[in-house]
Amino acid sequence: MNDAREAMLGRIRQGLANNRAFLEREALAAPHTPPPFVHPAGDDDLAERFAAELRKLAAHAHLCADRDAARAALCDILVAAEVRRALSWALPAIELPGLADDLMRIGVERHDVSIAPTAAERTAHLHELEPATACISGVDALIAESATIVLLSGQGRPRLASLLAPCYIAIARRDQIVRGLGQAIARLQQHAAPDLFADHSSLTFITGPSRTADIEMTLALGVHGPRDVHVIIYG
Amino acid sequence: MATHSIAFHERVDRALDDGSLQTALSRATDRFVTNRANALALVDDFDDLRARGRAIRASALAQLDDVLVRLSERIEARGGQVFWASDGDAARQYIVELARARNVRTIVKSKSMASEEIHLNDALEAAAFTVVETDLGEYIIQLAGETPSHIIAPCIHKTREEISELFQQHLGMPATDDIPTMTRTARTVLRQQFLRADMGISGVNFGVADAGAVVVVENEGNARLTTTAPRIHVAVMGIERVCERLEDLGVLLQLLARSATGQKLSVYTSILSGPRRADEPDGPDEFHLILLDNGRSQIMGGDYAEALLCIRCGACLNACPVYQSIGGHAYGGVYSGPIGAILTPLLQPELRDVHKLPQASSLCGACQSACPVKIAIPDMLLRLRADAVAAGKADAIERIAMAGWSQAMANPALYRAGGKLASLGTRLLAREGRIGWLPPPLDQWTRQRDFPPFAPRSFTELWAERQRRSAGDGR
Repeated sequence: MNDAREAMLGRIRQGLANNRAFLEREALAAPHTPPPFVHPAGDDDLAERFAAELRKLAAHAHLCADRDAARAALCDILVAAEVRRALSWALPAIELPGLADDLMRIGVERHDVSIAPTAAERTAHLHELEPATACISGVDALIAESATIVLLSGQGRPRLASLLAPCYIAIARRDQIVRGLGQAIARLQQHAAPDLFADHSSLTFITGPSRTADIEMTLALGVHGPRDVHVIIYG
Repeated sequence: MATHSIAFHERVDRALDDGSLQTALSRATDRFVTNRANALALVDDFDDLRARGRAIRASALAQLDDVLVRLSERIEARGGQVFWASDGDAARQYIVELARARNVRTIVKSKSMASEEIHLNDALEAAAFTVVETDLGEYIIQLAGETPSHIIAPCIHKTREEISELFQQHLGMPATDDIPTMTRTARTVLRQQFLRADMGISGVNFGVADAGAVVVVENEGNARLTTTAPRIHVAVMGIERVCERLEDLGVLLQLLARSATGQKLSVYTSILSGPRRADEPDGPDEFHLILLDNGRSQIMGGDYAEALLCIRCGACLNACPVYQSIGGHAYGGVYSGPIGAILTPLLQPELRDVHKLPQASSLCGACQSACPVKIAIPDMLLRLRADAVAAGKADAIERIAMAGWSQAMANPALYRAGGKLASLGTRLLAREGRIGWLPPPLDQWTRQRDFPPFAPRSFTELWAERQRRSAGDGR
């Protein structure tokens, strides 16, 4: 295996001998810094902007005054969708005190994701999780100009809790919204310096409902991931 | 059907004669072009973004050896494994042996052009594993036993009726051509595969060296499931698909989504950094990154290294009047369209008629204008044509014609005589100012379109007369 590594690196270095000058010239032709955002910035409110962009993607934004209103909005969505089972982040990570009682009151059974190492246990657990009809998570950031939800996986923050069920609800504080992707990446790296991925194996950007246009270029939602996406923003 | 065993011009003729393909192609490429244009119009300065994207990619390639070492070391430090695969054989063998060693039975796959390039599915199926493509388009192609015809939309060449037929036959779906019903059917069938799969294989859009992570971009969620549910994740990456820093994604993802589908960002971007950490509740227990060379280091040393900047968005396919007319299968290789006409001769030189692909272009330049990293595609196509001639691969007729042309150009009397003959001959053949038929081998032109007759008097004659007249005026 190491032989192949050295052979490949040798061939690459040999190739670069012919073209490194060209590539270095091209590399210097423009700055590499990402723009903080790419659409012209107005003096628009970022939460309003996020909500408007999200609606264009056939998803739903709920702007709430405070945590209580956010909990109420979440319960309304779950009741309307007749959700009985939900996968979610560990509740403390969602930062809505009282949510456990709310879920019990409206009859939603919350499941933790906890994949075991053996193949048989993994498959059995996935089959247990599959009947859930809603996923609930917090967020690490929201990007206003593209209506994107940013999620780091980690302890109490399963990846499947934004993926497996047909309805997905993300809950965010207003101060977690940034305007553009460049800003979002910069903020994440600042908060998690020096190594963003030390405790997180994945960083995920979600922009609207799962979609495909593979059959005759006709848009269909919810092909593998959630079809109904709700973002609740409070504060 | 294996289209690569048929001559290129026959593949083109078939594509042009296929009415439903023509409808599907124009519908798809029109939609892609419009969506892209709408998305670009909203951006403050898209050209500036393109310039940055090109510089970022060039910078990573200029130090590719170092970038790959950094990427592999960081992935290994996070508990992932990295396999350096010189060619498709090595990659296939590694994955087959890994699957055997881990008692894998079912393998789910998300879209990966690199794995198409090395025919990974054939190798896995030959080793008796169940392999399921999970991108809806790729799944349809797999059921039909075909190959993708577009980088972004693999089954644009199929109608809904054909797909319904496949689903009825293979999945027992009741007769319907309702697209949401077909989509739901696929979701249900494929979800069961995700829950039972032991291994997930994905492609890679970008390897991010300093983050020790790979980026997988998609719209359906099948790649997220592929890289999350099974206990083993294998990512197959062409060695050139790299950038240095996480910040670079602030440029590259914006370019990719808008150029590919006109979205601001794709629905799902997964940035994956090794297996799940000890306290994470889900994710794969094993992470393997395959660094696939398969001819790329050769390209790096040659005259077409610029093609390695490509981020596989498909914008050049949609913009190309030739692709719009013949679709992806006619190109015969895994990569189609203008960039495919460059990459396929370099990566799959063994394919039939592969040297003819650079002829499948009018050199109009629409591809270069659409390219998010400004690759000089028409220039490279021209040089590939010259290479093919220098290598003695031009057709006999073309060689004879060019030899004759060069004689005539070197001999003014011969040139004038030839011009007169052509003028007379073409005017004799013309009906109402157009020529609809020429004798073989020139009928290759007139089968598709008219030929204009030569003017009754040549430019040289007109010019001489003009000189005479102005000399007369001056007297």
